[in-house]
Amino acid sequence: MALFAVFQTTFLLALLSLRTYESEVLSEPLPLTPESLKVSVNSTCQCLHLQWTVHSLAYHQELKMVFQIQISRFKTSNVIWVENYSTTVKRNQVLHWSWESELPLECAAHFIRMRSMVDDARIPKPGFWSNWSSWEEADAQNMLGHDPLFVFPKDKLVEEGSNVTICYVSRIHQDNISCYLEGVQIYGEQLDRSVSAFELKNVSFIREKGTNVFCKVDQGGVLGGIVLFVSKVLEEPKDFSCETQDLKTLTCTWDPGSDTGLTKQPSQSYTLFESFSGKKTLCKHRNWCDWQVAQDSQETFNFTLLAENYLRKRSVSILFNLTQRVHPMTPYNLLPKNVGATKATMTWKVHSIGNNSTLLCQLELLAEGKVIQQSNVSIKVNGEYLLSELEPDTEYVARVRCAYTNHFWKWSELISQKFNTAEAAPSEAPDVWRNLKLVSGHPTPLSKVHANGKILFYNVIVENLDKPSRFEVLSIPAPASSTELTLDQCSYQIHVTAHNSVGPSPASVIVVSGDPGNEEVEKGRVNGTEDGFSVSWKPQSGDATGYVVEWCDGPQDLPCVLQWKNLGPNTTSTVIRSGAFRPGVRYNFRIYGISTRRMAHLLEKKAGYLEELAPSDNPQVVMSKLTSRSFTLSWKDYSTESQPGFIQGYHVYLKPKAGEQCHPAFEKTVLPEDSVCCKYTIDNPEQKTFVVENLQPESVYEFIVTPYTSVGEGPLDAFTKVTTLDEYSHTLIHIILPMIFCILIVMIICYLKSQWLKEKCYPDSPNPYKSSVLSLIKSKENPHLTIMYVNDCVPDAIEVINKPEGSKIQFLGTRKSPTETEFTKPAYLYLLPTEKNYSGPGPCICFENFTYNQAASDFASCGHFPVTPQAPRHQLGPLTSPENLLKALEQNYMNSLGEIPAGEANLNYVSQLASPTSGDKDSLPTNPPEPALCSEYKMQTAIPLGLASAPPSENSSLSSTTLLGQGEHCR
Amino acid sequence: MLACLCTVLWHLPAVPALNRTGDPGPGPSIQKTYDLTRYLEHQLRSLAGTYLNYLGPPFNEPDFNPPRLGAETLPRATVDLEVWRSLNDRLRLTQNYEAYSHLLCYLRGLNRQAATAELRRSLAHFCTSLQGLLGSIAGVMAALGYPLPQPLPGTEPTWTPGPAHSDFLQKMDDFWLLKELQTWLWRSAKDFNRLKKKMQPPAAAVTLHLEAHGF
Repeated sequence: MALFAVFQTTFLLALLSLRTYESEVLSEPLPLTPESLKVSVNSTCQCLHLQWTVHSLAYHQELKMVFQIQISRFKTSNVIWVENYSTTVKRNQVLHWSWESELPLECAAHFIRMRSMVDDARIPKPGFWSNWSSWEEADAQNMLGHDPLFVFPKDKLVEEGSNVTICYVSRIHQDNISCYLEGVQIYGEQLDRSVSAFELKNVSFIREKGTNVFCKVDQGGVLGGIVLFVSKVLEEPKDFSCETQDLKTLTCTWDPGSDTGLTKQPSQSYTLFESFSGKKTLCKHRNWCDWQVAQDSQETFNFTLLAENYLRKRSVSILFNLTQRVHPMTPYNLLPKNVGATKATMTWKVHSIGNNSTLLCQLELLAEGKVIQQSNVSIKVNGEYLLSELEPDTEYVARVRCAYTNHFWKWSELISQKFNTAEAAPSEAPDVWRNLKLVSGHPTPLSKVHANGKILFYNVIVENLDKPSRFEVLSIPAPASSTELTLDQCSYQIHVTAHNSVGPSPASVIVVSGDPGNEEVEKGRVNGTEDGFSVSWKPQSGDATGYVVEWCDGPQDLPCVLQWKNLGPNTTSTVIRSGAFRPGVRYNFRIYGISTRRMAHLLEKKAGYLEELAPSDNPQVVMSKLTSRSFTLSWKDYSTESQPGFIQGYHVYLKPKAGEQCHPAFEKTVLPEDSVCCKYTIDNPEQKTFVVENLQPESVYEFIVTPYTSVGEGPLDAFTKVTTLDEYSHTLIHIILPMIFCILIVMIICYLKSQWLKEKCYPDSPNPYKSSVLSLIKSKENPHLTIMYVNDCVPDAIEVINKPEGSKIQFLGTRKSPTETEFTKPAYLYLLPTEKNYSGPGPCICFENFTYNQAASDFASCGHFPVTPQAPRHQLGPLTSPENLLKALEQNYMNSLGEIPAGEANLNYVSQLASPTSGDKDSLPTNPPEPALCSEYKMQTAIPLGLASAPPSENSSLSSTTLLGQGEHCR
Repeated sequence: MLACLCTVLWHLPAVPALNRTGDPGPGPSIQKTYDLTRYLEHQLRSLAGTYLNYLGPPFNEPDFNPPRLGAETLPRATVDLEVWRSLNDRLRLTQNYEAYSHLLCYLRGLNRQAATAELRRSLAHFCTSLQGLLGSIAGVMAALGYPLPQPLPGTEPTWTPGPAHSDFLQKMDDFWLLKELQTWLWRSAKDFNRLKKKMQPPAAAVTLHLEAHGF
């Protein structure tokens, strides 16, 4: 037991000692620690470059080792990068390792250390790291100058799209530093008291001179900056290919893509490398390069094109056989030889390729821009080919290109040559037709010639068939293609030949009959399609040698451009095509049969439309026979021939009055504008009248007549309004018209007798001699009565009779309103010339009621009489002159005649029947006042002197006196 | 008295001393130099706009006024007013000649660095004009009997776009080159204007002493 315990103790001690030994051995640092670690800074690439050695290795010993590298920034504890670097190490070998910093190295101090570990399978128990080397500091700030502000990295070249970190180092320790990218402020992160960093992401190209980044101290005048050069990403060359023209020189071409063109970086370079020969050449051009083929008959080439700039390399390769890349040079000296009317020989030359190489040349012949012949010829140096089946007098273009016969790669460039074939006599007779004018009988032959040269003239020989001995020869110079011949009623045969410089064509013969023939032929219609008109006709029984279809190319209303088509004797249908055909135009076709005598007989007439259209216009409708219940419409001037389709009939639309139903003959329809209408269809295009019946009297209707074709009807836009008559209006017309006529007759008669009527009914002035009353008086009552002329009357006094009931008396005598006073004051006018200073009442002309005392005329001193207040105020002034006075009084008199009824006037005028023997006539004043001037005279009966026996009485004097005294009008 | 004045004025053209004929002297060439200076001022205005846009912001910003870091070798046009006034004609012309000799050299370097063909064309045209101005100044100096300044050995201006000179500083130099050129042209216009006035024929006016003895 004790022994067991001792043994156990001993074992444990031994084990403990072994563990202790092992631990001592294993913890001992290996002798492979990195030594001589040196760190350098490369500002251009912003790289830290490390170099070190491992001295402890045995001579000639190579070990695979791992070096763990730690990088700290600003301080050793701030480890920013750890990387294991594996390599094979020899004794005293200087090892290198580089690290590119994102942050410009000038902006921060970096610390580096490393340790190593043997990682070699030959060494047992590997896997122990050596001790760390001491920290090495890389501080680029020490290399800076004394400027207050630095911005890094300087003049860096980056690719477009990359991220760049910019930083600044400030020695003035101010916070007010702003940084700008192309003038725009940027914001970053402050890394240290004097260092800030800005990350620019996905930078883009701005200009060749670089992108400016600068920082400045606000209001300090301190400024620092850098230029960041952003290059576009180098593109891979495209379409890289090589070819040779002579098997001696290869020309390689490619598309280089874009070039940034930075001032900091030259354009990308291109290098051509051939792998079999191991040769390479630096290309002088951006997109092509020549390569000289060596004389050692190398056939296969493997080219690599390397594009390269400071930032990137791109390459593209091709492998090819030289003989499969032969692109011959353009042939030369292509010339026509022995050019005839239908044949020509072309010759040309090619550049030789190698020795005894053959080329395949392609010769093409073009006429009017289209290839009409193509031939392949194998040649060595000289080519020749005979072109045949050419058209006389035609311009051709021959062109040649060649390719390498052994292996087709590419055609050479084309060489072209133009030439003309020679002329030949026209091969065909001219195509002749005539346009027969029935009225004048002039045929007009037209021709279309297929000539083998330039037609110089046409010969027209006109032969009278009825008189065979008579010929007429006409020569019509080209390019005329028609002529007009005047023929009589005989039959003529016309020969037409075309002539060019070589000779005449075969003759074309037509016969024109003197008889215009039977024009009454069958008329039909022909349908037009997209291809044209398909015209068919019945075959002519007999000896027809052919047919001619004739038509005019233009519409009917334009001058006819005559067209025709010759057809064989067995043809009974054809399709007439023309680019001139238009939809909606009627074309008339005439089919002629040509007899063996070359005479044309009209067989059929056909009309058709390429495409029928709806009528564009409606007929001009005339309305007539309007009654209370019907009216008639007619459009007889409407031509169905000139319409854009075959007129099938007409639609008569009638808009009824509201609530009225359509007549049974009409069909109710709805117009496009949703109005209801009655429609009547006339299915006969020749019926051009229509009577609208069963209408309501005195109602407004609207109608329109529109034609219709198979496509549709005309426009429904302009309805015409019509109002039916009143049912009794015609009766009234029967009465009113005669009445109007009668009135008119009466008016005419009245007009013709107006003078007579005037004299009878309303004479211009009261002419007592003309008055019928006078004649009555004369004849019936008193034959001695006569007319007293006013001129013969010498007024001497005016007597105003004071009628007790008359308002005028009151007016004249008692009423003294201020107005009246004004009027009455100047109312006394001197009738006779008197002394100015007349003051007292003098003798007056006295008109006595119903009496006139001629003796009173002896009182010559009465020169004034009153003027009635009714006299217009404006007359008062001018009355002072004798003429005005006379006029005024005359007017006043006339007024009184017209306005004042007899019996109401205060002053009565009695026609003064002056004695014809009165000797006072000559003693009248120059402007005697006529009695009529007294406005309110009554008609006075003149009494002959004999009857007026009584002298002026006291009463009369009194009356005068009274007048002067009462009225205060006389002075 | 008025009649006397009129008579004097009427006979002024007949005074032989006032009608100089024969050798025109340096006057016309000074005038031509002055005109060329003004023309170059105008030409530079357009060229500087284009070139500063080519440099990009902040160099094309109107208020950009960077410190004169690397442009110390450029001849300064700014001078104290009193100093400028105290310059004699020879010194004045010599300074102009030397300044444009230097500036022309720098400008040619600028032309070599330009990336665009159009800019190179404009710069070359301006250089030609500036060369003409230099010749014109030399002509004026010769007319006045002044010798041309000889460059001291080792002081020839050189264009050294070395790696030590960063692109940003280079742009600043370009900026200052154009600015100094502008200032020099302005100063030259004043110089030649002053010289022109100085060289004008003297006594072109007659001082008339008029006394009024009381009317």
